Amino acid sequence: MSQKTTMLEAASIRKSFGTRGQVQQVLKGLDFRVMEGEFVGIMGPSGAGKTTLLNVLATIDRTTEGSIKINGTDISSMNDRKLSQFRRDQLGFIFQDYNLLDTLTVKENILLPISVGNVKRVVAEDRFKSIARTLGITELANKYPGEISGGQKQRTSAARALINEPSIVFADEPTGALDSKSAASLLGTLAQVNDERDVTIMMVTHDPVASSYCNRVVFLKDGTIYSELYRGEQTRQQFFQEILKVQGILGGDSVDAL
Amino acid sequence: MTLFDLVVRSMRKNLKHYYLYFFALILSVVLYFVFASLQHDASVLEQTDTSFKMASGFKAAGILLLFISGVFLLYANSIFLKRRGREVGLYQLIGLSKFTVTRMLVTENLLLGTGALAIGIGIGLLVSRVFLLLLMKLIGIDGVLTLSFSGAAILQTIFVFVALLVLTSLQMAVAVKRSTLLELFKVDQSGERVKKPKTAVSAIFGTLGVLLIGFGYWLSGHMLNSLLFFYMIVVLVSVILGTYLLFRVTIGWAIFQIRTSKNGHLGLSNSLSLAPLIHRLKANANSLTIITVLSAMTLTMIAAAYSTYYSSGKESRLMEPFDYMIVGDPSASDQFLKLLDKADISYHASDIEGFELKGDYEKELNPMLYYQDVQIRVVSESQLSKAGLTIEVNDPQSGVLMAGYTHWMLKSVETPVNLILEPGGLNKNVAIERFAEGNAFNDYDFASIIVVKDELFQTIRSGYKESGEIAQINTVAINLQNKDQLKEATELYNGIESSGKRFDYYTQYQNTLQSSGMLIFIAGFLGLVFLISTGSILYFKQMTEAEQEKASYTTLRQLGFSVQEIMRGVIKKQVFVFGLPLLIGLLHSIFALKSASFIFMSDVTVPTVIAMSVYIAIYLVFAFLTVGYYRKTIKAAL
Repeated sequence: MSQKTTMLEAASIRKSFGTRGQVQQVLKGLDFRVMEGEFVGIMGPSGAGKTTLLNVLATIDRTTEGSIKINGTDISSMNDRKLSQFRRDQLGFIFQDYNLLDTLTVKENILLPISVGNVKRVVAEDRFKSIARTLGITELANKYPGEISGGQKQRTSAARALINEPSIVFADEPTGALDSKSAASLLGTLAQVNDERDVTIMMVTHDPVASSYCNRVVFLKDGTIYSELYRGEQTRQQFFQEILKVQGILGGDSVDAL
Repeated sequence: MTLFDLVVRSMRKNLKHYYLYFFALILSVVLYFVFASLQHDASVLEQTDTSFKMASGFKAAGILLLFISGVFLLYANSIFLKRRGREVGLYQLIGLSKFTVTRMLVTENLLLGTGALAIGIGIGLLVSRVFLLLLMKLIGIDGVLTLSFSGAAILQTIFVFVALLVLTSLQMAVAVKRSTLLELFKVDQSGERVKKPKTAVSAIFGTLGVLLIGFGYWLSGHMLNSLLFFYMIVVLVSVILGTYLLFRVTIGWAIFQIRTSKNGHLGLSNSLSLAPLIHRLKANANSLTIITVLSAMTLTMIAAAYSTYYSSGKESRLMEPFDYMIVGDPSASDQFLKLLDKADISYHASDIEGFELKGDYEKELNPMLYYQDVQIRVVSESQLSKAGLTIEVNDPQSGVLMAGYTHWMLKSVETPVNLILEPGGLNKNVAIERFAEGNAFNDYDFASIIVVKDELFQTIRSGYKESGEIAQINTVAINLQNKDQLKEATELYNGIESSGKRFDYYTQYQNTLQSSGMLIFIAGFLGLVFLISTGSILYFKQMTEAEQEKASYTTLRQLGFSVQEIMRGVIKKQVFVFGLPLLIGLLHSIFALKSASFIFMSDVTVPTVIAMSVYIAIYLVFAFLTVGYYRKTIKAAL
């Protein structure tokens, strides 16, 4: 791990919403770092700032204060246009409700992010084949999102996130809408992708089972980091128990975890 | 909270959704009211009373307008209802009965309708003056504008729109009654499942569509015969059916081929244009066909009306080559010339002789025309040219035939054609070297005029004298030197008593101008209504689509596509949605005009191009509005 470079570095970021008089501070000076090839889970009760943190790090939203560096590039000072470009080149996204385009087939959806770049068609085809194989959706290439299951949709979404070979993939509750079997299967695949392809993944989740697939889990509470857990050499079951413990201490979220 | 409170609240909350429907309502009211007040206006009535054609034209236009407004409102209402499906579902979910929901919607509809009526009539009162001014200008009357506050027009408008409101309320009731909760929550999810087209079947039907249109076009150029009416119907049916197939099958098939050939590498702009187009093909085919056919009709109507108006001066001149003509009444012509002298109007007067006989063509020229025992009037080239009308004859033994109003049927006949004059008597064979447009006498009966060289004229005359009594006509043709004095001179001319027939250019010109002015006004007005309705329908539909695709735009923006990149795809789609009906409509109307060009004696390319350009310009405004709406939606998507 020590030779690995820092993929994402956030220094004392703050984010407030609302206008004068009614300002609500959601992120209160957060320092955060993700190393290359890490699979990081973000947990915490509702309102802890998980999604806000993800949006801010993923350049979808801007911070009020603080700086963010991804793969050595400072993104806090970029304009919207450059940010768009950056997202397309460097980032991948997996959303809770898949966000696939209904009018496109699975293959078209997956290839979308590299459709306006300088990626040659042959290269794109190769990438598609390899990713589709990894995610087990080769057979679905010509189906429309309306014709496949939720788990398959989320695999498609994951494939789309990986097609541009991003520096880091952001996943927002990727298993939130899936049944437990599909969820387990998807998480297993994500872990495998993380392991084999050395893809950096940052995942926001409620679910202790989901976060047990990570290398590291960060717990947020009220806009700051409350605690951190490394999986190390533990089995997934052991790691899961530890996560549950922290969650218990965090409190309040037991309702949330349901 | 009473139901009425709920209605008011939801209306206030939902202004964004309402303004579309509200706008459509107001627009319909304004246009209908303007038309109704013109219909009831005293100065217009005066004009239309004198001409049965105009009066019935106005009436027919009124009915057509009513029909369009009705269809347009029902359509806008259906789009509006669809957009609010979720809200309606929610009311039912919290326990309001279908009846209550219907009552709510109807109350809203009535409130909106009353508001639109009031506003529409208000705006109508303001703008109807402008329209009246335009009408008066077009038909060449500079009178004092008398347009008064017309109670009859207001009553008529209210009556019509209350009826339409009842209709739309019924539509709402039916929609609520038929809806299930599940459906209502799904309305925002886009369109139909895409089925892979059966390649063979679509290829056949797709080709059939193109073939049908092509056949219609071809037939439209070959239908000037006794079966004209039947052919017209065949052309209409085949073109409309072809257009439907084109939108329903051909285009879908073509796009599908492109898409398949891309093998998944669709690219962003195709993903935003081709894919959604395929997705909504079934839903769009009907409306695109209707819009195309309507556009074609409108374009044809406007271009034809404008061409008539545009060429009215020229065509009056063709039919009335001299300013004044007095036939066989020397005392009357003397009297008129003296009056002109007295009024200090300078002129050129000249005698023209002609004689009438019967003739047989050697063969049938056109199935719609008699070719034997035809009335022929012989006149000499030199006399005509002395009087100021130059018709060039090349060969001393042949002549030029002028068939007046039937010229269009002879235009394409190959010359020379032999004409036997007075068969059984004179038996003189004259070759017709060409058919010229127009008339050589101001008179217009069904006699054709043959212009020949002086010698031939004398030969025919002497030969004719031997064979029987001569039917000679002596006329005086008068041309004014200063055409500005036409009006004054025409008054003098009308004041003379004469037993002979007499014809003047100015009166004819005024009549033509008036009827064609009325025609262009009605056509233009209806055209405007058509255009606004079709444009709005496309705009509304695209607005709904933009709302439905909002989530996709959000995703695309998150994936890192810029607004400009997304807009490129959207614009490409709009080129299809707006461009295709326009283009095909234009093509249809060009062929329609071409096959109807026999109505016009003069070339109508210029007015047609002008009319079409105006149409395209207004049409494009809607396209730009749509693109603007998409831009707003996409910008707000992230």
